[in-house]
Amino acid sequence: MKKACCLFLLLFLFSPEFVRAQEDPSRYLDSLEKKYSGLKDYRVDVNVHFDIEALKAPNMQATLYYKAPDKMKVDSRNVFFFPKEGGYFNPSLFKKKDFDVRLLERLNYEGRGAVRLRLTPTETNRHPQGFVLTIDTERNLIREISTSPSEGRTLRAVIGYGEFANFELPAHIELHLDIPSVEPNGMKEFGSFGQRPKRITGKVKIAYSNYKVNSGLRDEIFNEAEFPKLK
Amino acid sequence: MKLLWLEIFKTFSRWRTYIAFGFIALIVILTEIVMKLSADEIMIRMMRSLQKDFLIFGNLLNGWFVTAFIMNSLHIHIPFLITLVAGDIVSSESTSGTVRLLLIRPPSRSKIITVKYLTSLFYTTAIVLFLACMSIFLGLALFGSGDLIMNYATRFRIVFIPEAEIPVRMLLAFAAAIWSMTVVASMAFLFSTLAENSIGPIIGTMAVVVVFFLLGNFPFDFFRALSPYLFTTYMIFWQRFLDDPIPWQEIARSAIILGLHNIGLFLIAFVAFNKKDITS
Repeated sequence: MKKACCLFLLLFLFSPEFVRAQEDPSRYLDSLEKKYSGLKDYRVDVNVHFDIEALKAPNMQATLYYKAPDKMKVDSRNVFFFPKEGGYFNPSLFKKKDFDVRLLERLNYEGRGAVRLRLTPTETNRHPQGFVLTIDTERNLIREISTSPSEGRTLRAVIGYGEFANFELPAHIELHLDIPSVEPNGMKEFGSFGQRPKRITGKVKIAYSNYKVNSGLRDEIFNEAEFPKLK
Repeated sequence: MKLLWLEIFKTFSRWRTYIAFGFIALIVILTEIVMKLSADEIMIRMMRSLQKDFLIFGNLLNGWFVTAFIMNSLHIHIPFLITLVAGDIVSSESTSGTVRLLLIRPPSRSKIITVKYLTSLFYTTAIVLFLACMSIFLGLALFGSGDLIMNYATRFRIVFIPEAEIPVRMLLAFAAAIWSMTVVASMAFLFSTLAENSIGPIIGTMAVVVVFFLLGNFPFDFFRALSPYLFTTYMIFWQRFLDDPIPWQEIARSAIILGLHNIGLFLIAFVAFNKKDITS
């Protein structure tokens, strides 16, 4: 009986569930933070391709500027739509102190060891919704970002990386959207009243090229007026 | 040809012909000034469906958008302005007592009615072109140029048209708008041929246009089934030139249906005028 109890205890202690419960999953965010601590700013050309039925638009090009920790600016000669979440790489977004982190599972992602983490914001002012991250633990790279369903909207970003100026930065991001449509006060057409709002679903593919990393971007670049904000 | 120019000259020598141009100028100027003053509010309302999930950059409220916005009011005030002349062009001859004098002159009745009809179409074209020039030039001067974002609210669709494509598409859209408005002119012209005064044709045409628009847009199956038989359903086909991809088949169908209405209405007016009894 004593032996059986010891065996059961050993099995329990070495079970994956127990190991998962014991380790601190926020260390994966630490590793990410360390990996990109040298990234102060970057400038990159972006090409956005929309594959959304409700948004008929040709490919759009712009230059994106980022400065740590959270400054972002897009410069485009033409009209440019850019996804608010998951559209650009911001390594400071997932700081350990801002989230309660829970390990959901260990998995194999494209032949490499990976973990899936649930991030619940500690302050909802800063991050109104939580995330699920899939992190390649061998290279310390975020491969997927999913937002927790909120107000009926879900979003999943799949990120592919390339090596730019000694940093592994996104070469392309594929965003999968499923968001509710709000009826806007736009061009009213006769002949189609009484229709129910449809959901905006589809993909946005963003390709990044010509990175210029740590070129010392000035703060003034980010101060120019933007599109009026929704009240 | 000389007869046509004389008729056009006669029409454009009346002060009431210019009411429409003055009214359009006033509407366009007021609309564009108000839009300029409330630019932020318009942008927010226009992009409400996307602003939660997308960052939006660039000049969306540009001259082309303002032009498309103003064009959307075509089916409201332009028909009324068209009827002011097209609904008066034949009946005014009866009202002023000149119809007998006109018909005892050498040009045949057929020639006279055709010339009057062509004058109505010329006036319709002039009105829509004036609206186009006013909205585009004033719009570009006040708001600048840029890509055109068409927000088809009732279809939950946003269409993005690159700046380079817009002039050609606008040209086609205004040509389609002229074609649509000729049906209103034809109807007012027919009523004008049948009536002895001008008020009847003007009110009659407006009543038909407004009632048809309303019937075609009630959100009930019965009225939906009725809408393909109402010419007003096809009058907004100019909007299709600002769609992506351009639905050419739908455009051709609408243009043909409206064209057939024009022919039918003119032929009735033609026969009625030729049979008109001016002796009593």
